Amino acid sequence: QEEAQAIDQELFTEYKFSVDQLMELAGLSCATAIAKAYPPGSFTTSRPTVLVVCGPGNNGGDGLVCARHLKMFGYEPTVYYPKRPSKPLFEGLTTQCQKMDIPFLPEFPAEAALIDELYGLVVDAIFGFSFTGAVREPFGSILSTLERITVPIASIDIPSGWDVEKGKADGLQPDMLISLTAPKKAAMHFAGRYHFLGGRFVPPALQKKYALNLPPYPETDCVLQLS
Amino acid sequence: MLPRGGVRGGAGAAGAASPGRHRRAPGVRAAAAAPEGSAARPAARDELRAPPRPGAPPLPQPREPPAPCPQASPAPHPGDGLRSPGVGSRGGGDVLIPAAVCSPRSKAEAAAIEKELLEDYRFGRQQLIEIWGHACAMAVTKAFPLPSLPRKQPTVLVVCGPAQNGAIGLVCARHLRIFDYEPTIFYPKRSPDPLYRDFTTQCEKMDIPFLSYLPTEVQLINDAYNAVVDAVLGAEAEAGEGREPCAAILATLKLLRIPIVSLDVPSGWDAEAGGSGGISPDVLVSLAAPKECARRFLGRQHFVAGRFLPYDVQKKFELNPPEYPGTECVVAL
Repeated sequence: QEEAQAIDQELFTEYKFSVDQLMELAGLSCATAIAKAYPPGSFTTSRPTVLVVCGPGNNGGDGLVCARHLKMFGYEPTVYYPKRPSKPLFEGLTTQCQKMDIPFLPEFPAEAALIDELYGLVVDAIFGFSFTGAVREPFGSILSTLERITVPIASIDIPSGWDVEKGKADGLQPDMLISLTAPKKAAMHFAGRYHFLGGRFVPPALQKKYALNLPPYPETDCVLQLS
Repeated sequence: MLPRGGVRGGAGAAGAASPGRHRRAPGVRAAAAAPEGSAARPAARDELRAPPRPGAPPLPQPREPPAPCPQASPAPHPGDGLRSPGVGSRGGGDVLIPAAVCSPRSKAEAAAIEKELLEDYRFGRQQLIEIWGHACAMAVTKAFPLPSLPRKQPTVLVVCGPAQNGAIGLVCARHLRIFDYEPTIFYPKRSPDPLYRDFTTQCEKMDIPFLSYLPTEVQLINDAYNAVVDAVLGAEAEAGEGREPCAAILATLKLLRIPIVSLDVPSGWDAEAGGSGGISPDVLVSLAAPKECARRFLGRQHFVAGRFLPYDVQKKFELNPPEYPGTECVVAL
């Protein structure tokens, strides 16, 4: 976890990337991975509806960008974003989604069965690699509901609620994991069908410094399927 | 532990169309976020390398008269009578003037679109530049795929001007580097805008070399690079920009034999009237929507990078964009 945070720090302080830039690329990767694994035509719901659950930090921001791109790829995303940081970056991303007619739910579907009925896919953008400690409400109950749904879950970077290194055997079991920048230790415990790597912006020098040993991305794709 | 549902084949493809229509979704849209000024970047960083040393003596300028700049912008012609918007298949396989598929915009309209994106949609300027730079790099890879390059090394020269077009060039160069090309940047007049300075640092720290001067001996450029990305002047520039060093750069670019990819507007062209005697790019990458001057583009390929445009903006400005295949962010017209 510290390594992941160190890489992030270096990207922002040494390489002078802005959060906006990297978040845009990360969100695009997530949407692209989803489009590859779950093309709109493969949904069992009559429309390719996707529920994007956004947490209070950067992982949530990634989710907002992902939702916007999903919309442009022909999906019908709906966002649930209960705790919004009052920073221009997140406000801007929220506005972009709203003005693209992406609905924001006022409350979380109470029953797992309701989610299963309405959506063909759920994107878990609640917690990322900086997550530590206990899960605060409302996310505790959200996660318990998500643990009971049967439609696939695509987690951004870390399945929410998992320990960033050790995973969580009784936690979320997503079908897809999109590791950003590099897979985290928790990814070893991932048991779903699709593991993608996204966030194709890591400078070669940084990859070397942290011995990331990332496999090469195909051509100009912004995602790489690892499994 | 395969979950049921969600991914069986069958259910009719929604395709890339149908934005803006929703099944009943529980609940309604939440109130819009409180408006606020766009993100301010923290101030100065002093990473700039030494100013470019004045290189070769100035070229004898074949000084072109600036292209005539019409006072009023010509009205856009949606469809140019050749195609009605929103009907039937678009793009791919159509033998039509590109302008008909994706009607060109005046300078004023292009500025209005950008303003709306920044102010109403609250896109960040850096975010937009990142989106455009990435799209431009994608277009370059489509126009000049790695295996097709004539030189042994996949070298590309990216010439960046002092304003936004140049910043887009910087982002383009960085993505080209990620895509395994070998870009080199010439960025003589660096923008003092802190928003753009970070783009420079990002390129430098990715070991992308910055030339300290542009050889006036064009053969050197022809020999060293496979292609040149022209990110000197964009739609906001005045016609036939006479100020140094742009004029000298453009004079050199005009003499090149290797292909030029122009970002948004071929530098030195008037964004509306086009350029007589200006550079002749091989490839044009229009940002958001083509500009009026694109009608006069005679090169090999014209890409538009507009996938990110919200549907309502497209409708409002009657942009009639072509279909973007799959998850592509650029499409050839």
